[in-house]
Amino acid sequence: MKKKTISTLVLGAILTMGSQLAFAAPDWSKVPKRDVSVFHPGVTPIEWVMKKSDHSGTAGLKKGETCVGCHEEKGTLNFNFKRLADKELEPKGAPVTMIYPVAVQASYDAANLYIRLTFKAPAGGADKGDKENEVKATVMFPDAKVTQAEQVGCWAACHMDARTMPGADEKKTKYTKDGSYELMQWRSAKGAKVGDGKVTTERKMDGGTLGAKAEGAKAGDVYTVTFTRKNPGEGKTIPFGLAIHGDHATGRFHHVSLGYTLGIGATGDVKAVKQ
Amino acid sequence: MASKIAGLLTMLKKPSAKYSLFALLSVGFLSGIFFWGGFNTAMEATNTLDFCISCHEMHDNVYQEYKKTIHFTNRTGVRAVCSDCHVPKDWSHKMLRKIQASGEVWGKLIGTIDTPAKFEANRLRLATNEWTRMKANDSRECRNCHSFESMDPERQKLRGAKMHKIGQDEKKTCIDCHKGIAHQKPKGMKEDDE
Repeated sequence: MKKKTISTLVLGAILTMGSQLAFAAPDWSKVPKRDVSVFHPGVTPIEWVMKKSDHSGTAGLKKGETCVGCHEEKGTLNFNFKRLADKELEPKGAPVTMIYPVAVQASYDAANLYIRLTFKAPAGGADKGDKENEVKATVMFPDAKVTQAEQVGCWAACHMDARTMPGADEKKTKYTKDGSYELMQWRSAKGAKVGDGKVTTERKMDGGTLGAKAEGAKAGDVYTVTFTRKNPGEGKTIPFGLAIHGDHATGRFHHVSLGYTLGIGATGDVKAVKQ
Repeated sequence: MASKIAGLLTMLKKPSAKYSLFALLSVGFLSGIFFWGGFNTAMEATNTLDFCISCHEMHDNVYQEYKKTIHFTNRTGVRAVCSDCHVPKDWSHKMLRKIQASGEVWGKLIGTIDTPAKFEANRLRLATNEWTRMKANDSRECRNCHSFESMDPERQKLRGAKMHKIGQDEKKTCIDCHKGIAHQKPKGMKEDDE
């Protein structure tokens, strides 16, 4: 019995060391940073994006253009932020800071894909519904079945009738009409669980298949969040989008990125460096 | 009464024995200039911003919206007033538009849009009329100032440059996309109109 216990402990120790080796942090100083702007989107769900009277770029999307293709310019986004902050698109009141950059780095090894986000989450939010977490950082990955997954990023999961939208059912989460998103979320509250979930007909914050882990720290006013997830495969380019809930924000009161691509030994807006 | 009219017609048809041909032509020519000039001056007066906003229906609604747009005030100081967008420049089309617009006088008399609520109730119908007119004439009034030939996409925001390329490729006209640029968009627009 005693021998068995010792064997179990030794085996456990070896496995723990092994897993630490497997999740060995990349040398981030050797990984280039790609600035991705996150912005307050107001009430602009996919229904708004695809309605020409609201968004003239609908014609571009129908031609296969991406959101980034029209709106990322000179290192920032060329939106009319006055319009986005106006009552029509933000009836509750806009945050003081409408847009800020998130530095994205990515790296991979045989087992995992590592994504590091570095950002200053500004104060001055308009909604402080999350009392526990000052900041949440989320990465979502649409699968190939999501309509326009490589064009619209997270927008295919963002709907007018989802919670925190004006007049919407407060129990209805984000959802997709086709395909699904995998998501991982880091929360700043001490001891908070890392979200490893999925968005299908509803959003679930656990039960996902990414094998997600996350570590975050705040140094001064700079947050650094490092995610680890299973490597989807070398040579692949996967679409992704970011969301930062800063200043205790909840629901749609986040700052989000447009849809970008991440290349794992392949082309992409963000190129993951092999370890 | 009938005999008086017949007498007047007889006199008008009768060659003048009293006035010289030169005098008659001169009077006719000068009268022509006077009446034609007067007619055009009066018509041009109805093309001014001041005339358009002299009724409260325009002043209190569309004018207030237009004042916030780039067509009212901008970096270069060029202003497009109501008639620049809503009345054709060439004479024949302008006349047709003015005759058509006389119907608006009736609307004024019966108070079709004399309250903000009535204006909002009619906004979609009125806007649709104007979009239909502009679509039919290939956005002629826009093109008095704007043209694809004189556009420099390099100086446009990326989103504008890309959309203008699509617009040219698909032979779109300005009003196909640029609705609600000087006034608020109406609620309840049909997707076909967008």
